[in-house]
Amino acid sequence: MTEPAPLTAGQRPRRPAPSRLAKRIGRYTLLVVVAVVVLFPVYWMVLSTFQPEKYSLTYPPPFFLHGFNLGALTSLFEQQPIVAWLAHSLLVSVLAVVITVLLAVPGGYLLSRLRWRGSGVFGFLLLFTQIMPGAMIVVPELQFYRLLNWTNNLFALPAVYAAFTVPLGCWILKSAFDNVPGEVVEAAIVDGTSRIGVLLRILVPLSRPALTAVVVVAFFVSWNDYVFASAFITNRGLYTAGLGISTFISEEDIQLYQLQAAAVVFSLVPAALYMIVSRHIVRGLTAGAVK
Amino acid sequence: MAAPGPRRGRRASRAGQGHTITSGRALPYGLLAPILIFECVFVLYPIVRGFLLAFQNTSFGLTKWVGVANFSQMVHDAFFWGSVRTTLEFTLSMVVIWLGLGLLVALLMNWNFKGRSFFRAALALPWALPDVPTVLTFTVMLDPNFGVLNRVAAWIPGVHHDIKWLTSPTLAFVAIVIMVGWKGFPFFGLIILSSLQGIPDDLYEAARVDGAGPFQRFRAITFPSLIPTLAFLSVLAFIFSFQQFSLIYLSTGGGPGTSTSTLSVLIYNEAFQDFNYNYASAVAVVGLALALVGTLLFVIFERRVARARMSAGSEI
Repeated sequence: MTEPAPLTAGQRPRRPAPSRLAKRIGRYTLLVVVAVVVLFPVYWMVLSTFQPEKYSLTYPPPFFLHGFNLGALTSLFEQQPIVAWLAHSLLVSVLAVVITVLLAVPGGYLLSRLRWRGSGVFGFLLLFTQIMPGAMIVVPELQFYRLLNWTNNLFALPAVYAAFTVPLGCWILKSAFDNVPGEVVEAAIVDGTSRIGVLLRILVPLSRPALTAVVVVAFFVSWNDYVFASAFITNRGLYTAGLGISTFISEEDIQLYQLQAAAVVFSLVPAALYMIVSRHIVRGLTAGAVK
Repeated sequence: MAAPGPRRGRRASRAGQGHTITSGRALPYGLLAPILIFECVFVLYPIVRGFLLAFQNTSFGLTKWVGVANFSQMVHDAFFWGSVRTTLEFTLSMVVIWLGLGLLVALLMNWNFKGRSFFRAALALPWALPDVPTVLTFTVMLDPNFGVLNRVAAWIPGVHHDIKWLTSPTLAFVAIVIMVGWKGFPFFGLIILSSLQGIPDDLYEAARVDGAGPFQRFRAITFPSLIPTLAFLSVLAFIFSFQQFSLIYLSTGGGPGTSTSTLSVLIYNEAFQDFNYNYASAVAVVGLALALVGTLLFVIFERRVARARMSAGSEI
């Protein structure tokens, strides 16, 4: 530590400004490389959707758009029940979000501000549910759904999504409730607010970004699911969008560019949601992940 | 909005009783009941049911208790061990790639540059892209005839552009790692970045005064301050990679052989291709045990991060 110190210190004054500039240019170049790597698949998805057929199915595939072709999109909507599938996904995801919010708000409160026996076990149970891969319980869950005659039912499917998003929502809201200053809560209690009142009138309104994050995450998880939808929904007319579009992968008579059109359409809803609340998502996801 | 009717009613009646201690003690359990019932019905009950299935066999509609027969079949099943190996290789690769590239991206972004907020938003994009479109896009990009990744790969001298990514065992595994790696590393980069920004500036100032170069500053300050976060994130990376299913299943189906068959994929294939629910449930018991280990590690490391954060006086 001490030995190289004079050396660096001696170099410092002699280092001219251009080297700093070179360093900046180097950093920017690397950032551009990262940006290209990160954005390229998304770019390619959009590009292939609008690339005229004769360019999308050749080698070498051109890196840029050669014309503008809506054929993939129009044939997708004409030949596939994609609108119905999207509507099913929307219904299922919204229902899952509603259940998640209703249960995660008291759940976050239980983990955050309330002291009670068994909170440790409860926290561990939630964590385990969140960590367990869905595929581990898809078989018994399917049997349970069959028992209740709930397969091929778009109103029953959201329950299983909520089972996985409630724990995550509880953790995100717990960390948000923890961050509300204690004095605010105490002042409210002194004023005679009940503990439910503290939750609904103080903690929830002060935790709007976290609540947004819960809504978005629950929506994403449900919109994204394949495991449970593929097991519980066997009627093609009731497919969710993810399930329906995924059947294109193994279909021989579907063209590659139509696959890409389907991918774009399917991503539009989450992308729009993401644009609206991107700041909340990043903050909420990191909070949920780290806490 | 989040106020279900009955609860309001209860609050009103309690106000009437004048906040007795007993009603206050009962409150957590009143709030707990709906969540607990919900999670027990949709998670705990299926787990128990799956556990029972693992000790049964069903043939021609008749269910028999068979003890540990499914497990002894599993121990002698090369496909099971191949899947265990794939799971380990895959989770380990993901931990290294997500954290390694994530750390690089975080270090690269840890200064005030123009377009930083754009960059942050761009980094969160792969994580937000749903699985099905991700698979569709990579399937097109990896296509042996028209795939753009083959065009890029052909820039490397000696590589021909007809690489058949998904039909060779090694390349299929590499393709999965590239796809899942792409989806996750920017997200880990964002988390590491927020932790980097929690390191107090005066530490760096002091090191600079002492004449430490950039590499020394990284070794003496940055890396040690990040260790608790990185340890915790490696547990998180293990969990996330263990949870991957649709990305892998939809692009390779687990094949060729067991080269991309993680435990989740194996369970799904056993259940829905071979309709062997009992054997699939036995494998799931092993998977659940692994998830339990993951949960315990998560709790231990999370406490450590919290302690380190408290002693450093910084927030992530």
